[in-house]
Amino acid sequence: MESSFSLSELNRQVRGAIRDSLPGAYWLRAETSDVRGNQSGHCYLEFVEKDAHTQSIIARARGIIWANVYRMLAPFFEKETGQAFASGLNVLVRVTVDFHELYGFSLTVVDIDPTFTLGEIARNRQRVLKQLEEDGVLSLNKELVMEAPANRIAVISSPTAAGYEDFKDQLDNNPGGFRFYTKLFPAVMQGDRSEESIIAALEKVYQYKELFSAVAIIRGGGASSDLSCFDSYHLASNVAQFPLPVVSGIGHERDITVLDIVAHTRGKTPTAVAEIFIALVTKTATELIELQERLVEETEAFLLKEQSDLLTLSNALVHRSSLFLQREFSTVQELTVNVRHLFRQALQKEMIGLQQITVNLKHSLRQVLKEETTALQQHHISLQHSLREGLRDELHFIKNVEQFVQMVSPENVLRRGYTLSIKNGKVITSSKDVQKGDTIVTRFKDGSVDSIVTGTSSKEIV
Amino acid sequence: MSTKINYTQAKKELEEIVQSIEAGELDVDVLTAKVKRASELIALCKERLTKTDKELQKLLEDMA
Repeated sequence: MESSFSLSELNRQVRGAIRDSLPGAYWLRAETSDVRGNQSGHCYLEFVEKDAHTQSIIARARGIIWANVYRMLAPFFEKETGQAFASGLNVLVRVTVDFHELYGFSLTVVDIDPTFTLGEIARNRQRVLKQLEEDGVLSLNKELVMEAPANRIAVISSPTAAGYEDFKDQLDNNPGGFRFYTKLFPAVMQGDRSEESIIAALEKVYQYKELFSAVAIIRGGGASSDLSCFDSYHLASNVAQFPLPVVSGIGHERDITVLDIVAHTRGKTPTAVAEIFIALVTKTATELIELQERLVEETEAFLLKEQSDLLTLSNALVHRSSLFLQREFSTVQELTVNVRHLFRQALQKEMIGLQQITVNLKHSLRQVLKEETTALQQHHISLQHSLREGLRDELHFIKNVEQFVQMVSPENVLRRGYTLSIKNGKVITSSKDVQKGDTIVTRFKDGSVDSIVTGTSSKEIV
Repeated sequence: MSTKINYTQAKKELEEIVQSIEAGELDVDVLTAKVKRASELIALCKERLTKTDKELQKLLEDMA
């Protein structure tokens, strides 16, 4: 049987072998995990290496930073990187390789190069951002419009964090007296579980998204700031695509994490995030007051303008009316003058006409009278003449008649031998008036003879 | 007045009213109604900023 080792003997051998073959200090690139301090100030952690593609752990080693080193190293690292020495960091550390019979294999950190971590963090952020950009989601949350008023806030935070209380106090004591509604969605904000915890909280907020105007992801400041989860692709991708605006306030000053970049708005601390919401609501209130002022001003201006329009109108009305009346009045006056003038003219013309007519009439009358007088005189003359002539003719005629009468008087006739035959007192002018036997008287110039008729004849003698 | 109108809608309506008054395109009778509506909207908006919405508060408190 071969000789055997007790465990301590074997471990001693291993220890010797390691010390012999790895005697110095070496720069190690690895990711920190399970970083924890203890009461005596020592820091215990694990170093891991993950497969670049599968992210599965392919190497692991226990690490220790003794208190005397850690007291110097931790602040130095945080100062240089803005990042607490914590789990999930890619670090470049100088280590000695140790093996202890009782405690086993461990790497003792003696120095650290923060610039490597800075570079790693930056490289990781760039990688994640590039991926988000390729996914087309990088600026989605930024493009969201926060619905006013921004006073309903879903808060993702650790319920016990001081930052959460600060946030609430700040909101509740806002100087404008605005009412804020906060609802806590608890999440683990630190360590390995924080990524999935925050994503789970976001999913819960999503179920009630109609109730909220925004999401605040806040984390109390505190000494340690393990920011690696806020550079996580999955969390950033969730936040970027979240339908409500996300405001980040994860309590660090120097670095901007991927979460800050994809978030709608970044506040440095929870208090700053509260101030952002207060400012938004204040702005909303100011806009409202401005609108109210504008309403009052515009309404007053409107009414004033209406009044002045009315005044202008009424003035114009009065002015135009009086102008119109004046014009009408002067027109009427003018017309009156014209009418008078025309009337006078017409009257004059009529008078002249009348005078003319009178003159003409007088003249005509005079002429007519003269003519008539002349005619009358003429008539008178011719009448006198006619009368004279007529009288002469009459005298002549009468003389003739007188001669004739004298000539035919019975005495003259009887004297010339003519007789008158009378029967029964009547002159006989026809033989037929006498019959045989009748007694007739024949008158002569100097007496009468009575005779008896013996016969008659009808024979004409003249 | 409907309590269902949200802040954004209320503000939009308010802005439209103010703009229409600014444009001077209103009748005086309509103006009175518009100003009344605007006052209601302002009161509603202010209430949203300062007064507690009991309904919302209860919803948030009842949330699991």
